[in-house]
Amino acid sequence: MVKRRIISVCMIMTLAASMLAGCGGSKEKDAGNTTTDSTQTKDNGTAANTSDSKDNKPGGIDTSEKVELQFYMLGDAPKDLPIIQEEINKLATADLNATVKFNFTTWTDWEQKYKLLLSSGQPIDLIFTADWTQYQSYAKKGAFLPLDDLLPKAAPKLNEFVPKDMWEGVKVDKKIYTVPATWKEYVNEGIAYREDLRKKYNLPKPESIETLEQYLDGIRKNEPNMLPLADNQGYQTDAILQLTTKIINSSGNIPYGQIMMYDTPRDITSYWGSPKHLEDLKMYKRWADKGYWPKNVLNVKDSAHDVFASGKAAAVLGGENPNRFNDSVIKIKSTHPDWELGYFPYPNAKGFASPVHPIHNGFAIPRSSKHPERALAFYEKLVTDKKYNWLTQYGIEGKNFEVEDGKYYKMIGDSQSSGFPREGMQSWAWRNPEFMLFDKSFDSVLAMFKEFDKVARPEIFQGFPEDWTPYQAEKAAVLQVEKQYLYPLNVGLVSDVEGGLKLFMEKAKQAGLDKIQAEYKKQWLKYMDDIGK
Amino acid sequence: MKDNNAGMSLLFKTSAYLIIMLFSLACLFPFLLMISGSLTSNESIIRDGFHLIPKVFSLEGYKMIFTFPDQLLKAYGVTIFVTVVGTVTGLFLITMTGYVLQRKDFKYRNKFSFFIYFTTLFGGGLVPWYIMITKYFNLSDTYAVLILPGLMTPFLIILMKNFIKSAVPEELFESAKIDGAGDFKIYYSIVLKLSMPGVATVGLFLALTYWNDWFLSSLFINDTSMYQLQYYLYNTVNTMLFLSQMATGTGVTLAKEIPTESTKMAMALVVTGPIVFLYPFVQRYFVKGLTIGAVKG
Repeated sequence: MVKRRIISVCMIMTLAASMLAGCGGSKEKDAGNTTTDSTQTKDNGTAANTSDSKDNKPGGIDTSEKVELQFYMLGDAPKDLPIIQEEINKLATADLNATVKFNFTTWTDWEQKYKLLLSSGQPIDLIFTADWTQYQSYAKKGAFLPLDDLLPKAAPKLNEFVPKDMWEGVKVDKKIYTVPATWKEYVNEGIAYREDLRKKYNLPKPESIETLEQYLDGIRKNEPNMLPLADNQGYQTDAILQLTTKIINSSGNIPYGQIMMYDTPRDITSYWGSPKHLEDLKMYKRWADKGYWPKNVLNVKDSAHDVFASGKAAAVLGGENPNRFNDSVIKIKSTHPDWELGYFPYPNAKGFASPVHPIHNGFAIPRSSKHPERALAFYEKLVTDKKYNWLTQYGIEGKNFEVEDGKYYKMIGDSQSSGFPREGMQSWAWRNPEFMLFDKSFDSVLAMFKEFDKVARPEIFQGFPEDWTPYQAEKAAVLQVEKQYLYPLNVGLVSDVEGGLKLFMEKAKQAGLDKIQAEYKKQWLKYMDDIGK
Repeated sequence: MKDNNAGMSLLFKTSAYLIIMLFSLACLFPFLLMISGSLTSNESIIRDGFHLIPKVFSLEGYKMIFTFPDQLLKAYGVTIFVTVVGTVTGLFLITMTGYVLQRKDFKYRNKFSFFIYFTTLFGGGLVPWYIMITKYFNLSDTYAVLILPGLMTPFLIILMKNFIKSAVPEELFESAKIDGAGDFKIYYSIVLKLSMPGVATVGLFLALTYWNDWFLSSLFINDTSMYQLQYYLYNTVNTMLFLSQMATGTGVTLAKEIPTESTKMAMALVVTGPIVFLYPFVQRYFVKGLTIGAVKG
């Protein structure tokens, strides 16, 4: 009995001890982290001082110690990555006394991995950032190093190379946390349609709601086996706003059914429940009755793009940006040489085009970086040195690609066999307009971009850092209501449109739509103040 | 009386067979769709959907895989290697632990048991685990990281311990000792042999976990040539998913050729095929092992 009691006491003690040990351990680790942080910043400080005195070193930084940089990019690595890495390392060792290891996350669970990489304190020197990787929110949480002081010292050339307004554009809380890409790209959507069928049946070009409807009607009449529209699950709603209004964004939608026009961005109103919304919904009902899409449209999972490209549908309204449309043209040329595709980009209807926001592609230095200066100097090479740039964008000349007619990119082999296809490392962020090579077929996109350049006005919506923590619960609730009540309206499955819309608005308000919209408006106006609109 | 009984059993038998047949048909149906999908041309899948008999027959899916099969074969190699090494080492460690923990003359067995059970109730969570493996053990991009975390599963240790307890009577240890057997000899030639059914069960569990694992590759492996088979498959599908979600709004373009529907089906078949054919054969041995152990025990 006594023995048993002793054992149980021992057990309790070990349990308690292990718990205490657990707490102690974590505390100690925290302390460890903060100390390393402070020593790190101190190191930076001293490094800065010494480098100031030794200006003859490349880039004005101390490169006496050989380092390995950890470089992280999203997506899959190309097959020939080890060869490219070796080539880059030869150059980097000579220039910066550094080697670099290119790491890739793959697209599986990349969001979770990205979070782990930034929160685990694992030493990483360069990591990709974008609006869709929540750049602003990570920057606000302090995941990245501010680059303002580092840039002129470690990467003066890069500092000059990126235009001032782009540096301004990527600032979060008045600090630069990422190096933006400088190539001006347009990702606005447009209507893709079958030009050959349009000519055959003598239909108008679909360039407004009226002509679009005439075109779709004509298809419905003459090609009974074909679907007029490929959009599924009511995705046409965003496209129709792009076509009929001067809405502020250039693709996708503005959350929570709100809308603001480009010319009056401070004037934010609710599109949901507005007369225009009702009118649009009535139109969708009419379209559904005419059979523009199948009855089970909400359950269709095939991508609209594939449906259009396979010849099942005659037009697609959303998702076709210039680049992607061009891609379809090339693919269809080989599979269906008798087809002809037409394209009407929405900027033509809106009267202006917006290139992507600077935060759309960039590279940041995480706080866990052990060699921030060397990392930045290396990134400068990647962007501004043609040798580095071509190696990481297109591979090895003569092995992976060749230059045709002095300016065109030509892949050796096809995309299946090539060990390093064009931009095989997802190298969107360090594209340099001066060195960029395009495939011959890309000329039409470039021509389109040139047209857009004439009417270009800066993108202001994408830079808005929405913080949804104040209304997280309502956000989920409204989304649920939207799915249940608005989606059927979007595809014209409800016979009483007006009543349906009223019911939806009622339910959405119950779910907290007003609170969301008020808070969103507050944040939006603050952002407008920040960027001086 | 006898007739009645026979009738009952006949009725029972027919209904049982019928139900099982229906169920197995339901299980077989998706698999058949997969086979036919892999033999259909991609365009026909998008236009007309899946059919049990291909509308437009084509081998393009398989052609696409087997033009450059090196990555797939490599992934096969990794998974087989990891499964074999992991299962053998895991079995060795788990049976030894189970054996030691159930020996009454092992003084600290309660403490050790408690230590092992405790981890099943309280874990550190994903982030600390990730930090420990990448930062302190430095195991990223090694084969070890694919094997080590699965080696000692508390649940399997408990299972093994209880199994040995029930299969091997305690007196056996004493008599073996009197006959001059050392501890390891007892473990090796008595405990292991007597608890064969348990070993088979635990081995099956271990092998299945290793074969089906993709999460470890996903977290810790950067080198494409070290991907496990399941992860390789999962990743290709995810790349497509990412493209369809992201490409529209962001203008993201990927250079890699994305697999089409028929390629996906063909790939799934190539990946599952061998296991489907292997399973019945291996299973026979499992059943055999189970019964032999049972009779002796």
